[in-house]
Amino acid sequence: MPDQEPQNRGHNRRDFLRGSGLAAAGAVLGGQATAAYEEAKADLIAEQGAKVVSGEVEITLKINGENKAVKVEPRCTLLDTLRDRLEITGPKRVCDRASCGACTVIIDGEAVYSCTTLAITCQGKTIETVEGFDTGPKGVPHAFHQHDGLMCGYCTPGFVTACKNFLDKNKGKEVTLEDVKKGLDGNICRCGTYIGVFEAALAAAKAMK
Amino acid sequence: MAGWPENPRLISTSIPRVDGLAKASGRAKYPSDERPKGMLYGVMLYSPHAHAKIKAIDVEPAKKMPGVKAVKVLMNAGATLRYHGEDIAAVAAETEEQARDAVRAIKIEYEVLPHCVTEEQALAEGAPEIVTGGGIANNRRAARGQTKGDPEAAIAKADAVIEGIYSVPVINHVCLEPHGLCASVGDGKAVAWASTQSVMATANELASAVNLAFSEVTVLTEVMGGGFGSKFGAELWGKTAAQLSKETGRPVAIFLDRAQEQLAGGNRPSATGKIKMAGMKDGSITAVVGECYGTGGITSGFDVIIPYIYSGVPNTSNTNTSVFVNAANQRAWRAPRHPQSCALTESALDDLADKLGVNPFDIRMKNLPGGNLQEVYAEEMKIGAKLIGWDRWKPRSQAAAVRGPIVTGMGMALHTWGGGGSPGNQVTCVINPDGSVEVRSATQDIGTGARTVLAIIAAEILGLEVADISSRIGNSTYPRGQGSGGSTTTPSMAPPAFDAVSKARDELFKRVAGAFDAQPGDLSLAKGQLLVKGEAKASWKDACRKLGTMPVSVTPEGRDGNAMRELTSTGVGGCQFAEVQVDRETGVVKVKKLVAVQDSGLILDMLTWKSQVYGGVIMGINGALFEERVMDPVSGRCLNADMELYKLAGATDIPEIIIEPYHTEAMRKRGVIGIGEPPTISTMAAIGNAVANAVGVRVPHFPMSPMNVLSALMAKA
Repeated sequence: MPDQEPQNRGHNRRDFLRGSGLAAAGAVLGGQATAAYEEAKADLIAEQGAKVVSGEVEITLKINGENKAVKVEPRCTLLDTLRDRLEITGPKRVCDRASCGACTVIIDGEAVYSCTTLAITCQGKTIETVEGFDTGPKGVPHAFHQHDGLMCGYCTPGFVTACKNFLDKNKGKEVTLEDVKKGLDGNICRCGTYIGVFEAALAAAKAMK
Repeated sequence: MAGWPENPRLISTSIPRVDGLAKASGRAKYPSDERPKGMLYGVMLYSPHAHAKIKAIDVEPAKKMPGVKAVKVLMNAGATLRYHGEDIAAVAAETEEQARDAVRAIKIEYEVLPHCVTEEQALAEGAPEIVTGGGIANNRRAARGQTKGDPEAAIAKADAVIEGIYSVPVINHVCLEPHGLCASVGDGKAVAWASTQSVMATANELASAVNLAFSEVTVLTEVMGGGFGSKFGAELWGKTAAQLSKETGRPVAIFLDRAQEQLAGGNRPSATGKIKMAGMKDGSITAVVGECYGTGGITSGFDVIIPYIYSGVPNTSNTNTSVFVNAANQRAWRAPRHPQSCALTESALDDLADKLGVNPFDIRMKNLPGGNLQEVYAEEMKIGAKLIGWDRWKPRSQAAAVRGPIVTGMGMALHTWGGGGSPGNQVTCVINPDGSVEVRSATQDIGTGARTVLAIIAAEILGLEVADISSRIGNSTYPRGQGSGGSTTTPSMAPPAFDAVSKARDELFKRVAGAFDAQPGDLSLAKGQLLVKGEAKASWKDACRKLGTMPVSVTPEGRDGNAMRELTSTGVGGCQFAEVQVDRETGVVKVKKLVAVQDSGLILDMLTWKSQVYGGVIMGINGALFEERVMDPVSGRCLNADMELYKLAGATDIPEIIIEPYHTEAMRKRGVIGIGEPPTISTMAAIGNAVANAVGVRVPHFPMSPMNVLSALMAKA
């Protein structure tokens, strides 16, 4: 019974819509939800002077240290923007629903599933993709290569990215196998290269010291 | 003809794959990463219904949508759709978002027909007949059976007989790179970047789809994101991309979305078996009777071998019935029919051992098949038993004595596979005057390390390092190469690589010997040097410079079957042991340890070989614990066509895994044998047996999910 939702207690649908990318939400909602969407939209415009966009707009994304101008629709995910509009194809589209981690990128220092992040929400943020990583002997890609932490390799950019972010966050700490498993549990590999991935992560942790 | 080197420098050592850094750094371009100039995005429209007739289809609204360049109808009015996920139409547009919008704008009027999406539905009395003809009636193809000896008489005389129903569900391939390709057709030529296990088969199919000669079509698969048996041809979506490209004059990419990839990108047939097994107190199996059925969806393809492995059992009978349901056609799945046959047989065998009071290790040793694998199995079993600590094994009755919910158990299983090479494939070896070396063939690396293995062979023969060799594959215009299926790529390609590089070396010797005042027979190669009568005379590069301006380029004839046997073999064993922990209150199974002992002849690269075995085991863990395609009998739709509810192991699900190559002198002498399929076969059965051992009762249905474990415990209570 949506009309009996408690007010001012945690999240309500309007808050959710405001946080989840209005335009994209509006495209798929119907009925009562549309009314809530319209209200949320009005709130945002009134409170924050937010601009509701539709059609293609040009935005600037800071990717691997470079500012890149790109035209996107409000509904474009960061992943599709990277792959289809900027030809940055390291991050892969696999599940497209935040289940598998193949699309992982680092935004403002946090590993994020780019398949469920809207590109327009990434303006002004620092985006790092696998293409920007050090490929030398101290880097994570090198460790994956040496320890055969990949087979078909389609999940690998996501694993490498998640691994780098995990190790960066744990710099100076003694990283155990259990830590690595927990740190990489947001990614899925179908070929079953996990053992090589674990070895690579532990080796990369040592190399980073 | 010489064989593999007696004391190799590189072969059998651990060598990182040559394309590993490109993959790990995101630089490797997969077919789905290709963005040729002007590329359009193609999106498929597929059936939302399990069974329906298209009464009317109107694509005009789609054609008017922004960015749309072409719409192609694949199923016209009057056509029958036979499963959720079957192709109906395709749209090519400037952006993928626009193509998706246009697909949504296509108007279709369906007449929904009655469906059967589960075997229960298809086999029920009065079920709607969804497939007819070809000997199919009541949604099944009549049982095909084979009988040996007199099973009924043997069962009557046996010391113990067990009978059970065991089953393995339909599971999906879940290739991470979806099926598809990007095609550019124009000016009487076609180029396609395809995610395929066979560039040659794909090129052939594309040529006929756009009416071009095979020689005008180039299929490229530099790397690809997993196939596991499901990616051998251009397929309807690939042909459609090529046709849309021809129509629009622009490159067109069609890669399935995740839902359709799960629905139609490939699945493994289920198997249910009513198995009766009889044996004597000394542990000998005297009879096995299997009545089995399973479904390959809308096509046949179900088949199991009962009994699996134990070919010496004197009295056997097995019937297989293919059941047809409204689901996409099955596809070859890493070791077709073996994992199911293994699970059914090995589960029943452990139940028989338990009833006879015989140790599962001993009953397997007692009933090993004869022939050259008998000793291999026996040795592998002893090694595996030691590594898992089989001396800690206790009978199932131990479970009742354990207090608290947590119980542990151990199980094991055996498997077999062929993995021989196919004759007739060719490799070109080019030695350039600047010392660069290329090997070329129209095979592909689907993640196995096939590209690396060719470079290892070339480097070994030429006394060079692996990094000195350019291993060029994944191009359909190169000399005929093997399709990557059935663990055949490496054994098929290793002999022609050996031949091409050996002959190129001999040709080099012939052409440069004069420059060193020597006869060709005086020359040899080692450590990047050319030797004359054993003495280093020039660096590899300086020696190649003597070629002048023309390279050495040889493409020997492919070997015939007999000649293949000089360098390769077929037929492997292998055994796996599992230790599990089960919570009897929640039904959650945790694999604690897995041991795999595997032979596969001469191992070319120990590092990628081990990765294949680890990967096979982990794929088996997935089948044992998580994987199951779930169909809704009411709506006829698949309920888990995603990667959220279709479960696969993540990092914290991975147990301790011990891989032991059985790589003795005798095995190395056998020559090269493929490794892709064998290590994934018996994992499921070993884990199932460990669960039975832990909880004291057989969990008859895979996966060993909480629901199936608790159901079995409830049935016992």
